[in-house]
Amino acid sequence: MEVDDLKTIFADAWFIRAFEDCVAALSAAGKTPGLVHLSHGSEVADVMLRRHLQPSTDKITGSHRSHSLALIGDVDPVVLAAEIMGLSGGTGSGLGGTQHIVSKDTLFLSSNGIVGAQVPIALGAALSARQVKNSGIAVAVFGEGASNQGGVFESLNMATALHLPILFLMQNNQMAQSTHVKDVAVVNLTARARSFGMVAEQADGADVVSLENTFDRLIRYIRETSSPAFIEVSVPRLRGHYHGDQSSDGQSNVDPLMNLQKLLQVQDMQDEEIQTIIDSAKARAKDVVDKAQKQCDRSGAILSDYINNHPQLMGNL
Amino acid sequence: MPIMTISEALRSTLIQVMQNDDRVTLVGEDLSMGVFGVTSGLDCEFGSDRVINTPISETAFVGMGIGAAMTGLKPIIEVMFCDFMGVCFDQILNQAAKTHFLSGGAVDIPLVIRTTMGAGDGSGAMHSQSMYGLLMQIPGLIIACPSTPADASGLLKTAIQSNTPVILMEHKGLYNVKGEVDQTISAVSFGEGSIVKEGSDVTIVALSKMSHVSCEAAQLLGREGISVEVIDPRTISPLDTGIIADSIRKTGRLIVVDEGTAIAGFADHVISNVVENNFDALKCAPRKIVPPHTPVPYGRSAETVWLPNANNIVGVVRDLMRSSDE
Repeated sequence: MEVDDLKTIFADAWFIRAFEDCVAALSAAGKTPGLVHLSHGSEVADVMLRRHLQPSTDKITGSHRSHSLALIGDVDPVVLAAEIMGLSGGTGSGLGGTQHIVSKDTLFLSSNGIVGAQVPIALGAALSARQVKNSGIAVAVFGEGASNQGGVFESLNMATALHLPILFLMQNNQMAQSTHVKDVAVVNLTARARSFGMVAEQADGADVVSLENTFDRLIRYIRETSSPAFIEVSVPRLRGHYHGDQSSDGQSNVDPLMNLQKLLQVQDMQDEEIQTIIDSAKARAKDVVDKAQKQCDRSGAILSDYINNHPQLMGNL
Repeated sequence: MPIMTISEALRSTLIQVMQNDDRVTLVGEDLSMGVFGVTSGLDCEFGSDRVINTPISETAFVGMGIGAAMTGLKPIIEVMFCDFMGVCFDQILNQAAKTHFLSGGAVDIPLVIRTTMGAGDGSGAMHSQSMYGLLMQIPGLIIACPSTPADASGLLKTAIQSNTPVILMEHKGLYNVKGEVDQTISAVSFGEGSIVKEGSDVTIVALSKMSHVSCEAAQLLGREGISVEVIDPRTISPLDTGIIADSIRKTGRLIVVDEGTAIAGFADHVISNVVENNFDALKCAPRKIVPPHTPVPYGRSAETVWLPNANNIVGVVRDLMRSSDE
């Protein structure tokens, strides 16, 4: 990585941070129909992941906390913001919402309202890539909370049994809603993945060098061998479980964006230039959200259209 | 036209669609063995990449089917017995059924889940249920229950062409039922019931195994001069309410014979629909003939009593004719 790479990573990660800050403000202003689960803390790790993926062949599935993954996965930010607000022009025209981003023809495939359910679905994207032999991979992103779901255990085993090109990317932010990982899992979760017969490593989500090295080696390994691998990335959860949840905030005071900023400063980047990147990310995020807010809530009409266009799904003919 | 069993009809249709479309991929437990013969040996013909024997992990492989369907394949997933759907219900209830809707209809999910159902073979409580009543309450699923080889083939073909998930429920007691199958006839449309036997006095709505049992009863009743019409809806979601309504307007009497749940299941759904929309055509209260609200029992005599049979039907029809005789 060169300094210019670091600047790009910093800018991309800051855009996600600014986008999520805007979503938080929308939520506080009552402009999102439901609770929003924000990505503060995983932005840098997500941007680093994107550097190693091919949008034409790869697919990402994520959890309820997937705005950041959708952004790095090429979902148009205006489209994403519209869906989060339940407006027309969203990925699901407002029928899906913040936890159910289902995106056609993008690197990001879908997020999920059920903890861990996105992991088996990623197996299918890996199977498709294996069938068409395009060196594509699937990335199942989930939290340490989901790692205790049976379907995740099944998927780890299925992936090794069927030799599927899939990266299991566990973002460990220590907290499953309000439950600390030490209270519900007594073993090291990376070691657990290793016991299924796959390569499993850890990376520090606040350290771009650690992320770059780990993603580079393991994703290349997955593509070249059509075998699964597992990476546990430690990320801080800088906001509560959802925006407005004060009870479990501040579990970590390490902000990966601040670490990256310090790294840029060490590389002689001037404060003014750093501030310009941040201001520009904030301006762009505001612009995106302003554009999305100009969309209308047409979800009622969209629902009627869906009903009229899909008589076979309406139970009675 | 060749005569074949339901098992053979499904198998030959699978072979045909797999030859025509490389994207069709079979996934499930013990497929190369093929518990009911439908998929036996297909891995030798199409390779283990397209006929995939999985670990016993229904959640993982149903989810895998959904993900594969979203990314270009046309997977046909086999859940060996519908009773096992309890294991992977989230992937059916929340993932398969909802994803197309959550994308605003933008993302196709061409997924077929084949499964078996039905009591009568001593398999006991956890390998004998007919769970379509539960499944039909979930928006987003198409559910088909063939009762003949031609319907099994035709519904499977339609299922493979669907861009939303279809569950094909095959009755274990029907795999050896024989019939003519014209493979050149393309498909049986969803939501298109069939009049299995025409009649004028009573309408019986029954699907899968129960349509056969109802025909047996209709034959017995015919000897007494009672003319029974048997309607097999073939798909229960979507349901051909038109064919049922037309028949009720002719006969004025409705009986639903069903192996599914006694409470809020298929039978109750048909009755409520007819009462809501064609009350004025009814000469008497509709009746349902369904198992008691218990798990499927194991012992031979208990299982026999549990299942609706032709004698039950004959008794109820006679009763209905007597009580509604003007």
